[in-house]
Parts: sequence; C-alpha cells; structure tokens
Amino acid sequence: MSILNMDYDYLIKLLCVGDSGVGKTSFLYKYTDGVFHTQFISTVGIDFREKTVIYQQNGRQHRIHLQLWDTAGQERFRSLTTAFYRDAMGFLLLFDLTNEASFLEVRNWIEQLKTHSLSDDPDIVLCGHKCDLQEKRLVNQNRAREFAKNYNLPYLETSAKTGQNIDRAIEILLDKIMYRMETSVEYAMLCASGRRRQSLQKLQAKQDKKFCSSC
Amino acid sequence: MALNPQYDAIGKGFVQQYYTLFDDPAQRPTLANMYNVETSFMTFEGVQLQGAVKIMEKLNSLTFQKITRLVTSVDSQPMFDGGVLINVLGRLQCDEDPPHPYMQTFVLKPLGDSFFVQHDIFRLGIHDVA
Repeated sequence: MSILNMDYDYLIKLLCVGDSGVGKTSFLYKYTDGVFHTQFISTVGIDFREKTVIYQQNGRQHRIHLQLWDTAGQERFRSLTTAFYRDAMGFLLLFDLTNEASFLEVRNWIEQLKTHSLSDDPDIVLCGHKCDLQEKRLVNQNRAREFAKNYNLPYLETSAKTGQNIDRAIEILLDKIMYRMETSVEYAMLCASGRRRQSLQKLQAKQDKKFCSSC
Repeated sequence: MALNPQYDAIGKGFVQQYYTLFDDPAQRPTLANMYNVETSFMTFEGVQLQGAVKIMEKLNSLTFQKITRLVTSVDSQPMFDGGVLINVLGRLQCDEDPPHPYMQTFVLKPLGDSFFVQHDIFRLGIHDVA
C-alpha cells in the first residue's frame, strides 16, 4: 500500500504520545515496516518517520504522506514543548497494558492534547499497547473500553511484536482526520491559513521536500 | 573566607564524582549526602525543589534504567565565600533514546574541610523552535 515516490495530495502530521516506556517508538517502527530510518531533530527533541499511503474517499484515491512524530524521550525529564504539538492533526495515545500507571496517566495526556492541539476536540485513537504480553497484563480490556467510551475515543489493543491492530489504529485515525477535513470547511480553512498551518493545505507535489519546523 | 585557588580541580573532581554516583542506580541514593536537608536548592527542568529529601524524591522518580553521558566542558569559578560555581555542558542518553544535550550548574558551599551542593540547576538543551 505504500508508494516510494514523493508525490502526494495531503501531508498529515500525526503524533504518538503516552508515558515513557509504553512502546511508542516500536509502534511506529512496526508501522513503517521496520525501517529504522528516522530523522532526529535534536534541537527540539523530535524524532519522526514518514510513510506514504493511498487513501480511498468517495471513490477517489488520495495519496497521503504521513509524518509520524515521536518524542526523543524527553518526557522522562519534563513535559513536552509546544514545538512538538504544533500543527498536529491527529494523535495516537498509547498506554502499556502491563503498566497500570501509564493507563492512569491517559487522562492527563488527553488534557494535554486538548490544550495544545488546533481543535478543542482533537482526533485521538487510544491504544492499549503490548497486548501480546497477556500473562503480564494489568489493565483489563473492559476497563480500558469503558474509559475510552466515556471519552468517546476509539480503543484498540495493539502489539508491535505481533503487529496486531497497528495498521488498523492508524487507519481509524486517518478516517477521523479525513472525515473532519471533508465535513468542516471552517476547520480546513483554519488549518490552511497562515504560514504555520500550511501542513494541512493540499500541497503541490514537489520533489526533494525538506522538513522545516515552522511549516 | 578567601577564594579557593583549587577551584578548577574541585569543579572537575566534583563533577566526575557526582555523575559516577548519579549514573549508577545502586549508588544514586548516596547523592543525598551531597545536599543539605534544608538549605540546598534544585531547579530541575523548571521545577523548584528545596532540601535533600525533595531533591532525592525527584531524582528517584526518573524512569530510565540506564543513563550514560559525555561531559563536554566543566567551567568553574571561585566564589568569595570559599565556594565554587560550576557549569557543566554535556550530553546524556537514557536507555535507547536518542542523546540529549544538557546543562547543569552547581554551587558548592564550603562545609568544614569539604563542600555541599547548595544550588543545582538542570536543563535539557531542547528548544521550542528548530
């Protein structure tokens, strides 16, 4: 499903968040087909990888270039800087099914995302990660489902080891984002206006796109 | 009290000893001996802490298993109370994370034949814009 050239219709920036040690990096590693080629911007502590996918919408095909942003572990020391959240269009919120504290922190993460994202009601997919470790599981499925239901979030149990639901989680998030873009002209206009919000614009396919933090 | 002419050696020696203890999880709790129970201050990523107990709570709450570091520079100055001001520029790496630059500043206050850490300020070198 991925294509290798740099032409695309949409550039979409997704963030992977959650407590340190929940498996964010291995989640993204698995999703990008085990390619460990990341671009690390040390000055802002951001690690990101990219993948281009084909998305079907109303019988049309869109080429979507995903930028998947990961932290560089600084959340061990501090809260994340605003540079990390800037212009994010969707969030993968992970907790570790074998670590109850990481589940209890999900509430705080949701507040963080509401504070920093473009929308008051950001698109989030909640993932209970490391579901292959059944014998070490400390958060049962019903409890996590109930929580997700209260916050009106899709909930999936994922594993980077088996690959379970990894692609699915990103597909669901992408569905939410594309639906929002299609239905909310205001949102699309908002996102498309201004230099810092160009990432949502339908971009001209260009060769040799270079990352720059301000766009 | 006079300026301590050994300030540079004291600075470098202290930094080496401090990080040796810090970076070994088994020895990290002994750092408590370097801080005063009441009069030591720490600013850790903007969080203000006072006293050895609070400072050690903070250090013990850090979640990495393994930390390694490279110290790029240790710049020290003598202080007029006989203490030493130390500024460290370095890079640290926790577990499998990418390395982060950091800065740490210490003020050592004389105490008998030795010193204690009166001030300790730590920041990762991460910016809001690239």
